[in-house]
Amino acid sequence: MSQLEQFILDKQKSLSTISNPVLAMTHVVYGYPSVSKSIEWMEDLLTAGVELLEVQFPFSDPVADGPTIVNACHHALTSKITIEDCLTHLARLSSAFPNSKILFMSYLNPIFKFGIERFVQQASQANISGIIIPDLAIENAQEYQAACLNNKVEPIWLVTPNTPSGRLKMLTQQATGFIYCVSRTGVTGGEQQSSFSKLQNYLQEIQSYTNTPLAVGFGIKSKDQIDAISEHICVAIIGSALLQKYDELGPGQALIYVKKLFPHLA
Amino acid sequence: MKSNNGYYGQYGGSYIPEILYTSQQQILSAFEEAKNDPDFLQELHKQWKQFSGRPTPLTHCENLSRHLGGAQIYLKREDLNHSGAHKMNNVIGQGLLVKRMGKTRVIAETGAGQHGIATALVAARLGLECTIYMGKKDIARQYPNVFWMKQLGATVVSVNTGSQTLKDALDEALRDWSSSHETSHYLIGTACGCAPFPEMVSYFQSVIGKEVREQSQAQFDALPDKLYACVGGGSNAIGLFDNFIPDDKVEMIGVEAAGKGTSMGEHSIRLSNGLGSKGIAQGFSSIFLQDESGQLQDTHSIAAGLDYVGVSPIIAHLAETNRIRMTYATDDEVLQACSLLLTKEGIIPALESSHALAAAFRESKQLSNKTNIVINLSGRGDKDIFNVAKAFQDEEFVPFIQEYAEGFYQDSSLNLHKD
Ligand SMILES: Cc1ncc(COP(=O)(O)O)c(C=O)c1O
Repeated sequence: MSQLEQFILDKQKSLSTISNPVLAMTHVVYGYPSVSKSIEWMEDLLTAGVELLEVQFPFSDPVADGPTIVNACHHALTSKITIEDCLTHLARLSSAFPNSKILFMSYLNPIFKFGIERFVQQASQANISGIIIPDLAIENAQEYQAACLNNKVEPIWLVTPNTPSGRLKMLTQQATGFIYCVSRTGVTGGEQQSSFSKLQNYLQEIQSYTNTPLAVGFGIKSKDQIDAISEHICVAIIGSALLQKYDELGPGQALIYVKKLFPHLA
Repeated sequence: MKSNNGYYGQYGGSYIPEILYTSQQQILSAFEEAKNDPDFLQELHKQWKQFSGRPTPLTHCENLSRHLGGAQIYLKREDLNHSGAHKMNNVIGQGLLVKRMGKTRVIAETGAGQHGIATALVAARLGLECTIYMGKKDIARQYPNVFWMKQLGATVVSVNTGSQTLKDALDEALRDWSSSHETSHYLIGTACGCAPFPEMVSYFQSVIGKEVREQSQAQFDALPDKLYACVGGGSNAIGLFDNFIPDDKVEMIGVEAAGKGTSMGEHSIRLSNGLGSKGIAQGFSSIFLQDESGQLQDTHSIAAGLDYVGVSPIIAHLAETNRIRMTYATDDEVLQACSLLLTKEGIIPALESSHALAAAFRESKQLSNKTNIVINLSGRGDKDIFNVAKAFQDEEFVPFIQEYAEGFYQDSSLNLHKD
């Protein structure tokens, strides 16, 4: 079992007083609204005790993201930002907050330009636990998978409600760390939600193939949504909704929002 | 050109969010089946002929050839397609495929608006819902096309993110497709995107080169010595070139937009002078204009249809293997070439196509009058009236627009929507 998976299971066990505890994975765009502000925001979240922090390194053409995250990425890119600096910052955070794990998310091109092997190596040195690349399908990922294996970083695979069963099985069986279950069709954010019964069937199907922990993301914004599926998942991923709160109400209120979604942090 | 499992050398492939996997696989198999189905091919040829007016002529430009004093210049008249550009060849093909797959809506990106128009026309004819994504900057410079798309019943969405041009329109189209793939087909307008789009678009466009082969045999009893085409995404270029790839004696020249200069942001030259580099974005691997961190960069061309950050993986591969020679033309050269064709031959070329003209005119002077060159006139220039008028600083144009604007709401006798 990978360290990341072990971490998730241990954390869940430590919350055994709650029935079906769901861990928090909060998303932050590196460099938004500025590098220092984004680091402060990450520190706030880690101080509050979120178990997993997903840091998105901005790309000019983020095709899996909706308007909230697209705007943040484009804004971040108006200043010069680099993967090196990002990893340096994340290395510092990971040693300052050993009770949480950091995931790195970006599109393939910035990572490809940096060098896939070199990137995975440096991410590992920065204590990054997992990497999420939404436009890299497993079929194209031999070099990446090998680098991850060598450097003990988990490549996190996404599955979706319309992934065909055969493929779902293949992906879940290769997955380590956790499986990123996209809750519905479409890009990140927005109002659209998957129907509960559809989501439940989909999560049950995944569970029938694997014991790897499940994380659910895309369009998650309320505690009710999380409660409804808590028996199937270990982690809920809060992305656009959190960024929207941050934009509209500032970090203080956004943090209160996180604690409402995940009462065990309060 | 047939791919090797979606790849052309090191370029191509499929790099899309997982959510699109099923739809991508569906297109892959639908296209494989369709191109081996005689009924589909018969319908395709019928629509090309009866709706778009194919075959398009190969026009010998005698005045121009004499004026430049070099090669015999022939134009492949894709401007005479219905909709005014080669884009129609591909849209007819994919439109029929959409019907075959049973989808009810199409999404498209457009730069110059030519692909948007062609898509809106075919959608109207096939009874499909249609949404067109177009950069805000492109809408501003190609509004007449936007107007017609709307009249045809399409929804035109202005894309305000990023550089507000074709690349961003493509991103938005992909995002739409991510949420609508069950009922919608992404009808991409050029030989880019994830597999099998480059192969499929080049398949539908290759009718251009097939006709040129027959026409050049009939009209000058030989294969052309040189072929010229402008390269935006690469669809009209691969359409002309594809049939001639095995004919080593036929030189193929791709012409990119040199815009205002060679600094980043001033041009769209991806394949010359080491300005572009390998990248993976918008669903495929190819050569892109990007910085050292892999961020795609702003581009410029006077021709909205060439103002694009990436290029077809097929063209990137053929350029890398030296089967295509790449060159470029600046905004100024393009306007001069446009003007020369207008006055010598009575043909109004699109600014995109005028890039191919500019490079061919430049080179033809050095060639003997026994040399036959074919230039792909990918589109007609009517859509460019505002930009060309501005570039030529036509004095009467501004008063015309002002007067027209003043009277716009006054004379209601022509107003269709009056109460
Ligand atoms: C007339 C015309 N020619 C050329 C192009 C460039 O596209 P491609 O390189 O795919 O032919 C466009 C694109 O909008 C166009 O409208």
